[in-house]
Amino acid sequence: MAVRRSYTAIVERDVLWEGEFASEPYEAAWASEAIFFVRALNALAITTGDGGLETGTARVQLSADGIHWVDEGTEIDLPVSRDEVTFCRVRHFGGWLRITGNVPSPAEIRVLVSLALKE
Amino acid sequence: MTNLQAMDPRLSRFDPLERVFFYDDFDEGIRGWSELIGNYEHTLDSMLPEYSDMRPPMLSNLTMWDTGTAGSMEGSYALKLATRARVGSLATSIKRQTFRKRGQIQLECYFTFKPEASELRLSLDDVRAFGVLFDLQDGMNPEFRWMPHLRYLNAVDDEMINRWQVKGQTRPFHDIGDSGETVSHFHLGPENWDFVDCPAQTLCYNEIATKMNWHYLKVNVDLTERRFIGFQCNDLVYSGEALKHISIPAMPNLNCMLNTAFWVETNRDKRAFLYVDSVLLSGEF
Repeated sequence: MAVRRSYTAIVERDVLWEGEFASEPYEAAWASEAIFFVRALNALAITTGDGGLETGTARVQLSADGIHWVDEGTEIDLPVSRDEVTFCRVRHFGGWLRITGNVPSPAEIRVLVSLALKE
Repeated sequence: MTNLQAMDPRLSRFDPLERVFFYDDFDEGIRGWSELIGNYEHTLDSMLPEYSDMRPPMLSNLTMWDTGTAGSMEGSYALKLATRARVGSLATSIKRQTFRKRGQIQLECYFTFKPEASELRLSLDDVRAFGVLFDLQDGMNPEFRWMPHLRYLNAVDDEMINRWQVKGQTRPFHDIGDSGETVSHFHLGPENWDFVDCPAQTLCYNEIATKMNWHYLKVNVDLTERRFIGFQCNDLVYSGEALKHISIPAMPNLNCMLNTAFWVETNRDKRAFLYVDSVLLSGEF
């Protein structure tokens, strides 16, 4: 029995996000499913209007060429405290994947972003 | 042609030594080629900054915005290294093995390199360099860790260079963390590269950033004598005096190390890509 190929890329490691951000493009045409994991190595959250904490959101984007990007429709909240992990699942994405978004000032977050791919 | 090559036509484009140690066709997956990372203790922040972001390799089918998918040299997928879009950014991928006998080894691969096709112009000097290195240490009673490096310096700023270079010296070692157990040294900086005594070699760039032509590369090293014997890229063959390599005292836990790494460096605030398909390491094992 052939097992399904899989690969996890650390697309960002120990990178500080403040304001607008986008992860580096990653080619994944061979894969049919993906999960973006975002782990906070450190986080400075801000308080929302209802008393919660936030560091912003990330949107999944697709690309046919790694240069021109379009929203896929999936969004995730970014983690708000150290070692918290958030994630999202994506399927049927074509060639390239990344996440992009905004960390509202004065929030900031130092991230490790893993992209887990499976055939 | 040997029996081995006759049995498998994929090997007929290589000239392996007597035993194939690994043969990586990236249609089969990533095959052990991982991102290079520096040493650290307790926190990633203890890493030498040059090692902090050497980018994960990927499997690419060479899809271009204007012409669609080219596929790899043989099949669909090649190993792809991609820098950030920041001048001087490096992407480095390494395969970590050990050897069982000191003898000659030979790396062969087919490669192509390009800048990201984000501008509609020639972009000939947008990739600064690419290269291949071995990181080796003797086995029993080791004396040396030694590191043959070979790079093709394509361009520096606005000047085309088109020359092969080797490196004879690394940077000083640094203690990492506070335990006294971990050290690190950065060996891919712009310093201490020497031109190989051979002509400039203009590779087949082919006019625009979305056309890829595959090139042959062969590198020969002798583990017994610790000699960097020579190399071949397409019709350029270097077989003169042994080439310089980095040599440092043996380290505590690296015996029989046989690491192979590829890297690419960008010359602009634009991503540079190196594609490899396939890689064959053979030797006298």
